[in-house]
Parts: sequence; structure tokens; C-alpha cells
Amino acid sequence: MSLKFGILGLLAEQPLHGYDVKNRFESMLGGSWEVNIGQVYTTLQRLERDGLIEADGERGDRRKLAYRLTQPGRQTLHEWLSQPESEPQQLREEIYVKLLLSTRLADGNLDQLLAAQRRVYLQRLKDLAELEQRARRDGRDDLVLLFKGAVLHTEADLKWTDACAEEIRNSNQKGVEYT
Amino acid sequence: MTRLVELTDVRKVYDGGARHPALNGVSLGVDRGEFLAVMGPSGSGKSTLLNLVAGLDRPTSGRVVVDGRDLSQASEAELARYRRGRVGFVFQFFNLLGSLNVLENVMVAAQLAGRGTAAARQRARELLAQLGIADQAGRYPARLSGGQQQRVAIARALVNRPLLLLADEPTGALDSRSGEQVMELLVELNRGGQIVLLVTHDAKLAARYAGRVVSLVDGRVADDVVLQASTPSAAEVVRVRVEEVAG
Repeated sequence: MSLKFGILGLLAEQPLHGYDVKNRFESMLGGSWEVNIGQVYTTLQRLERDGLIEADGERGDRRKLAYRLTQPGRQTLHEWLSQPESEPQQLREEIYVKLLLSTRLADGNLDQLLAAQRRVYLQRLKDLAELEQRARRDGRDDLVLLFKGAVLHTEADLKWTDACAEEIRNSNQKGVEYT
Repeated sequence: MTRLVELTDVRKVYDGGARHPALNGVSLGVDRGEFLAVMGPSGSGKSTLLNLVAGLDRPTSGRVVVDGRDLSQASEAELARYRRGRVGFVFQFFNLLGSLNVLENVMVAAQLAGRGTAAARQRARELLAQLGIADQAGRYPARLSGGQQQRVAIARALVNRPLLLLADEPTGALDSRSGEQVMELLVELNRGGQIVLLVTHDAKLAARYAGRVVSLVDGRVADDVVLQASTPSAAEVVRVRVEEVAG
């Protein structure tokens, strides 16, 4: 996701300085991403340049400078929040490419690779369940949503590995070779 | 080392299905204290596996040994005794007797196993209390929610202090909240030492609650993995990608 809109969203709650932004961002995501403070300052400067945020109080030490949302900033944020995401789906994990290449190269380790990958997904499902439970105990319903999303993605990945394994079994039975 | 449940090269072929055995050379051991999930798509053989361990059926070849008893060699009478005394079942659709109230549903399983009425009643009441449904004792199954009915079914399954608690898609007919409660109950029982064998097609359910997951594909064990019950930090498991937008 974009840091820009993350920052606008946090500033919509109250004025914040750079470190507040970083800390709140990390806590919002339950520590699932570490935000670089340099990146935060750069983004704040850009947002100010574009008139989406403005300094709240005296300008001096940048570490103490707080920003607040401007009216155009609020507008931009609300437009973003109300839009569904229609970017092409990102299949970022290397396993997708690894499997494609392995089938093409007829590298005999495909079964083991799929089995090992499957175990990773099963363990991840267990870990996510634990995290979800913990978030629920801590009253972090927003994080529960994040982990539920991760669970569904992992289930889909698991189904995909099973589908790959089945495909490979079927083509082995037919004696079809991949070229 | 002898496992408590030991399947050795088990094959099960149903009539007319010789080319597609339901189980095709399954070897599997289960130890005391385990919470094992058997996972697989429909037709993978997982219910057949459960039926063999439950003594409901015999393998075509191979051995099924539970606590030193070879079920493949046991007589019908021995199998019936084994099922009543050593195995507790929990099914997807509860299978409670509609004409009996909650207490009677639990008691009857104890009485069938030869326990006297007073002892059966005492044991049933004890379990209903343990499972948080003591106040439902006089009600009839039709008046209960799905989650409550499944609790009654679990109480019934436990009434004879079975060696094995077998659960076949126990949350299949429940909403997600009741399903979670039922699963957490099974986890709690397992912590108390109860061996639980869960059969499910649901990977999430299997991974979440079981310590070990056996995956069946086409009647064979495709994978057998022990999962770590660690307490990871969020960052070790999931990352949200944050990027700077240029411009």
C-alpha cells in the first residue's frame, strides 16, 4: 500500500510529527511492517508541497514539526478511501515463478517442492490463527481483519499448490511431458 | 516403539472398486496425547481411515492395531465392544436422538456400555457441567442451537472415557462462532490428555487446532507434518507492503 495515503489517514485523526506517524503506522499494522523514518519525512515534504498537509505550529527542528491535514488533503483521502482497488493482482511470491520454471525444466524435485511449500502454508495458517486470536484478545478488531485477509490468501495458496500437484499427477499418469 | 494406534500398509477396497482402492497402502502411527487432523478432498479416503480406526469396518489387507488390539482380526462382537468402550464419535450432524432429552442422550451411551442408571446419570451430569450445558439437561435436541447440540454429542462421545475421540467434520453444520467454540472445546479436552482424531477437508481448521496434519490424496498419505505451536510476531508471518509513491 502507499505510504502517502497511510499518512493522510493518520493525520485525519489528529496532527502528528514524523516519529508519531512512523510509530502509529507500525502499531496500526500490528508490527507487520517497519516503516522507514526517512521515507516518512520525504513523503511528508511531498504532501506539504502538494498542499495536502500543512505545518501545525512553528517550523524549526523537523523532528518536532507536526503536520495537519488540509481541506484538499481530506478530499484526496476520502476519494482514495471510497475507491475499490482495481490494480492488476500482484503475485509477488517467488513460488509462482519457481513452479513455472520447474515444470518447464522438468526438474524432478517438483513433488518435494510442492510438499515443502504446502507445509509452509499449513504452518502459516496456524501462526495466523494465533495472531488473530491475540489481536482479538487485545481488542484490535482492525488487525483481526488484516489477519483474516492473510488467512484467506494462504488458503488460496494452499489450494493452488494442491491443484498444481494434482495437475502434475494427472499429466504423469497420461505420460504427457511438459516442454 | 509401539504407537497407541498403528496402521500398517492398510488397503481398503470396496466392492467393485478394485482399480480405485479407498485406501492404498496407508501406514500411520498415533501416540498418546496427540491432536491429529486427517485432511484431504472428498474421495481421498479420510472417512474410510476414520471408520477403520473406529472399528466400523475392516481393512482389505494390512493391520489396524489400537492399544495392542488388532482390529483387522477382531470378531464382530469384539469390534462392537471396542466401539462402545474405547471410541467416542462426533459427527457433522450431531446424530442425537430426538425423542430423548439432553441428559438421556448422554446417559444412553453409558448404559449401552453396561453402566447402571445411577452411575450413567452421574457421569452424564458431570460431563454436561464440564461442557457448560448443565442447564440444558432437561431440554430436547430440537430446542437447542447447533453449537449446543454438538456439545451434547461431545458429552455423549466422552461418557465412556474413550481412548480415542473421533470427530468427522464436527463444525460442518455450525456457524463459524459455534464452530470455533466446539473446536476450542476439543483442544481443551486434548490438553487434558484426550487423543483427538479430526477428519476435515478444511485446511484452516486442521492447521489451526491440530498439532499434526496428515494429508491424504487418492488413498495414500501425501504428507504428515507436525506443526509448531510457536508464538510468532506479526512481522514474521505477514507483511503489509508500504511504498512511497513517486511524485
